[in-house]
Amino acid sequence: MKRTWRWPLAGFLLGGLVGATFLTVNVVGASSPTGPSKRAPSFGEILHTPPLLARAGKPVELSFGVVCGVVEDRPGENCTPHGEVFIRADGDAGFTKLPLEREADGLLSAVVPAGEARSGFDYYAAIDNGHGQRATLPEAAGAAPQHVWPLESWRTVDVGPPHFGESRAPSSVFAKFGWGGGDETLGLDSGREQSRIGPSAFDVAPDGSVVVLDQVNHRLVRLRRGHEPAVLPIDFAGGEGDLAVAGDGRIYVLEMSGKTTVRSFSAAGAPIAAGPLAEPVADMVRAGPNGPLVHAYPSEMWLPTGAARPPLTQAQQLRAAQPARSVGEGLGVVVHASAAEIELALVRGDRVVRAWILHGPTSFGEVQLVEPYRNGLLTVVRLWDEKHAEFRVLHLGPESLASSFAVAPGEWAETASLSRFRLRGDTLYQLRSSHSGAEIATYEIGGMR
Amino acid sequence: MRRGLLPGLVGGLAFVLLAIGTPAGAYHTHFQYTCNSGYFNDNPVTRAAARDYAYVAAAEGYQWAGGCWNDNNRDDSPGDPPEDPNTLGEGGDCSGLTFKSWWERSETGDPWFRYHSAMQNTHGPYTAADFKYGAGAPNTTVAKANTVYMDAFASTYHIGMIYWANTAYNQDRIIEAKCEACGSGTWPRTYRGNPDFSGVRRLYWAG
Repeated sequence: MKRTWRWPLAGFLLGGLVGATFLTVNVVGASSPTGPSKRAPSFGEILHTPPLLARAGKPVELSFGVVCGVVEDRPGENCTPHGEVFIRADGDAGFTKLPLEREADGLLSAVVPAGEARSGFDYYAAIDNGHGQRATLPEAAGAAPQHVWPLESWRTVDVGPPHFGESRAPSSVFAKFGWGGGDETLGLDSGREQSRIGPSAFDVAPDGSVVVLDQVNHRLVRLRRGHEPAVLPIDFAGGEGDLAVAGDGRIYVLEMSGKTTVRSFSAAGAPIAAGPLAEPVADMVRAGPNGPLVHAYPSEMWLPTGAARPPLTQAQQLRAAQPARSVGEGLGVVVHASAAEIELALVRGDRVVRAWILHGPTSFGEVQLVEPYRNGLLTVVRLWDEKHAEFRVLHLGPESLASSFAVAPGEWAETASLSRFRLRGDTLYQLRSSHSGAEIATYEIGGMR
Repeated sequence: MRRGLLPGLVGGLAFVLLAIGTPAGAYHTHFQYTCNSGYFNDNPVTRAAARDYAYVAAAEGYQWAGGCWNDNNRDDSPGDPPEDPNTLGEGGDCSGLTFKSWWERSETGDPWFRYHSAMQNTHGPYTAADFKYGAGAPNTTVAKANTVYMDAFASTYHIGMIYWANTAYNQDRIIEAKCEACGSGTWPRTYRGNPDFSGVRRLYWAG
């Protein structure tokens, strides 16, 4: 009688031992932190803003920064980069080498003489970091170089003073959401010491529905007037992303955090393909004539990632990279902006079809949107001073500014950086937010205020 | 004679898995157990050296109130609940990354420089809001229009440093510890033109 507890107790102890062994092997072992790395230093990164558009007959300066890859605790052992830029004037067969000179600010620079820049040129940089490691930018070098188009004529547009606080009211609000994880809400990722991130992006489908990337809730939300929102769960690692809907209804989603990835879905939301981007950073995905195009860094080139399964490999993406965003009918859109002026062009191959240069009394911020529109372009640019901001919508006609109005930023929550606006027909859509939620507002193009 | 062995074994197994396995799985990486306390005071460094240092943190994790990271280009503690320092994950938060990348000292009245090992688990005394208003002897505010690389844009809830100013679309690539789901990286951002954000600068760079 008094021995009846022995076998259950032995079993209990044995079971406990087995469980502890299992946890040790599978939980503790699997989650052991990586700790300090013993890897060799990486190259680092070449930083560069491509000029893209240059006044014909003027020399063009090409400048490159280099971030040195360091691994262990050896401060001060920075690299001493040096290198060359290879130039190929339009019409030439081969590249010629220009040495990069180190400037006082640490940048490596070369000036392309006016004669060689007159009709435009291709270029790539090859830089050694002084530790025997060498990299090129763009990575495919001469196989897919960066390009500078010559500006021989252009329309100058004065955008005028800002209208801070006097923006145009939306024509309508397409849809409105509170914050949360339910079917009638959109996700908000916020807190102390971090970004305040709402839905990252949206686009307008050919059928007029709006697809929102509600990445905080790992889903797409499709909106149709008069219908309840339709929720489509998707794989999404987190953070931020961008979204584009193609003419055939396919949906392309760019994941910007972690390993940058492009996913494609059918119009119904069924997964088609997913693959890594060839460059580490990206800010836009747009629907091109033959599939998704991703604006990637550090090259600032547009990488095609493939519309079908399997997607393009990273090597294929790099070899097919283009400096202009292809918008169909052989045309490309080129953007180069600074606080002082914005240069915009429609190009066909190496030729500028039409160009505009925007000036104004206020600092320009980012170029949010540029799309072909009625023999010209429709663009949305930010105007700002230290305390205020607005978005200015500009219809650039072939000869002049056709219409212009101001839109309030509505940027309480962050989106992907260039994904606040989309154009469909004559309607501009805006993803905007406040502390109470997010909404899709619409504006009809036209008028001057 | 061996009656009861099997139920006992099942019971013991279930007890261990439930009692130990559940909490172990909840906060499972404990990355900070491998952190160190390595630092030394230093003379002023250049902005370029500070950017090289910050670049190590790119593609690593985000940890609220955290401060140590390796350089394997992945988040070794993904998916931790935010705003909980007890998750002990990899990475700094936005203000911690800025503090370490700006080679600042924990003594707020001391503006001079201190090298912090990437694996040193320190956050520093400043929040994003502190940086925004220029708190601390090493820090000051600056007009956003006058900022250059390794200056920063700060709001009351977030701060990111300029990694490369003025992209073709006129954004700034910002190096920042962004959020738990985002990790840390060098993404193009539009903080410069956003009125929520102010320009801030670390003083006394060597160049």
